Amino acid sequence: MTTGASASRVVADSSGAYPDTQLLRIRDLVYDVAGIFHPDHNLVRFEECCRGRMQQVGSASLAGYFDCLAVNPSCQAELVNLLNDITVGETQFFRNQAQADAIRRVVLPRIAAGKADLPVHHLRIWSAGCCTGEEPYSLAIQLLEASTDPGPLQGWDFEIFGTDINERALSRARVGVYSQLSARHVSPLLREKYFTVADHNLAVAALLKPKVTFSRLNLLDDSRMTFMKSMDVILCCNVLIYFDMLSRQRVLQHFYNCLLPQGYFFVGAAESLFGLTEDFTLVHFPGATGYIKAPRRGFTRQLS
Amino acid sequence: MNPSQPSLLRKLENVDHLPTLPAVLAPLLRYLEQPPENIDLQQVIELISQDKSLTAQCLHMANSPLFGRLQTVDSVRGAVMALGIRHMREIAVSCSVLKLMPSVRSTLDPSVFWVHSFSCALVSQKLAQRIRFYNPEKAYLAGLLHDLGIIAILWLAPDDFCAAFDLARCEEIPLHEAEQRTLGFSHCETGEILAHRWNLAADVSAVVQFHHHPETAPAHRSLVAIVHLADLLCRMRDLGYGYPEQRQINLLESQAHALLIAECPDLAGFDWARFTFELDNYLIEVRSLVAHLHS
Repeated sequence: MTTGASASRVVADSSGAYPDTQLLRIRDLVYDVAGIFHPDHNLVRFEECCRGRMQQVGSASLAGYFDCLAVNPSCQAELVNLLNDITVGETQFFRNQAQADAIRRVVLPRIAAGKADLPVHHLRIWSAGCCTGEEPYSLAIQLLEASTDPGPLQGWDFEIFGTDINERALSRARVGVYSQLSARHVSPLLREKYFTVADHNLAVAALLKPKVTFSRLNLLDDSRMTFMKSMDVILCCNVLIYFDMLSRQRVLQHFYNCLLPQGYFFVGAAESLFGLTEDFTLVHFPGATGYIKAPRRGFTRQLS
Repeated sequence: MNPSQPSLLRKLENVDHLPTLPAVLAPLLRYLEQPPENIDLQQVIELISQDKSLTAQCLHMANSPLFGRLQTVDSVRGAVMALGIRHMREIAVSCSVLKLMPSVRSTLDPSVFWVHSFSCALVSQKLAQRIRFYNPEKAYLAGLLHDLGIIAILWLAPDDFCAAFDLARCEEIPLHEAEQRTLGFSHCETGEILAHRWNLAADVSAVVQFHHHPETAPAHRSLVAIVHLADLLCRMRDLGYGYPEQRQINLLESQAHALLIAECPDLAGFDWARFTFELDNYLIEVRSLVAHLHS
């Protein structure tokens, strides 16, 4: 068992010492297995998570903890514990501002331009693994703003689907009451417009709720996944990291089929699809990355 | 070139008072281009010692906390040992080129310009290393100098440059496109003239001239493509000219990617996502380097 003192030790101290090579091994393992990357400047928090878990599992060194993640029969379970600690606090409104900006300012205008000739100006966006609903409501706020402001999305209608496997999280999403902390990235103006204060908490305003439909969905449920059709944008942040390689590939193939040809797919800010699929191509936006359907694959692929 | 706007370019070609590089820089760079095992430390020291301000800058850098020195360095030999050959080159270039930025007030903050240049240098070099391009050090130098043409425009027509920069920032479009619209030419053309005047190596000149359109480069296309891709990545990752370009970039389908993969097949299995995330590391490193060069 490590002591509290060693648990609070941080990697990149002010003298600029290089991060511990054992820590980098764990970082690379987590990237290879789960697809979530921690750049050097984020390693302090990453190490805190590792050391916190080391205390729990009784690992005395980072090298020992690496073995625990990589070699032990229980490694899959411990990896999930570590990932839980890493992604804690990710469920907030406007958590990933660069991604939100990319969707509103680049992605949706491009999609809208491609659909301009259609009789109905309508967008379908799916937040897969939406947990307690912060992400779909954030999208709804952005889209309500964009569809009323003069600009490329003015007058467009939209619907947002929030799905999760956890029914309890979904009930909370439907109620739509959040702590002040989870809304700390929301500007005062938007807070005023889209939330009401209730017992020190914030409740999403009535105008937001009809824009988001919540339902329970297991991403590995092949038959139900085929019902999610004609999506313009799919977001699936910090969800695929919990799946093994084969499940991840299966879910990605579903997402591919659910997306319209000009659609976009987004994962979490530090997540990558590298080595998982050839169906999607990485694209860059200011401060964010996303995926489009790879060229010459415009037909619907059958699940193998 | 826009036929109605050739006069500025002609002016640049004929102008007598263009900034000049220190005489020692070209021989020093040429010397440092050799394989490391051929480089004689004494020769480097002698070259640097020929230029007083370069010597001072080396000592200043060698004593900065950036290089983690515990003892005071007070000789050129000590500075070269402390900084290492690779840093000698970047300090020599940046010290020489930093002074060329005209002191006119401009909407482009010089430190933003240098953060972009050093980031592009670093990213070009790392990319070159990862895909086993034969000369990563050359990629660094070319990345550092790719935007020389901006300095030329600042000398020649500072007000016009400000108009172009304001347009780029306001419409959130690439700077070279805004230059083309307001000036009728871009920093690629002015850079070419400057690179010729300064007698830069042909491959670095090609990067200066063609880094926005690598497919039009008649030679050195891989090097041009590397700097092109690095430049794009930097601009998408808050290491650009201080404003976001609101657009989508598809590196994998770009002509630069196609050009480069022919010469560096390792690019086929390259993890662009991870490389992009790693870029955020450089921001801190590069900002402190530029801060020290400016201090």
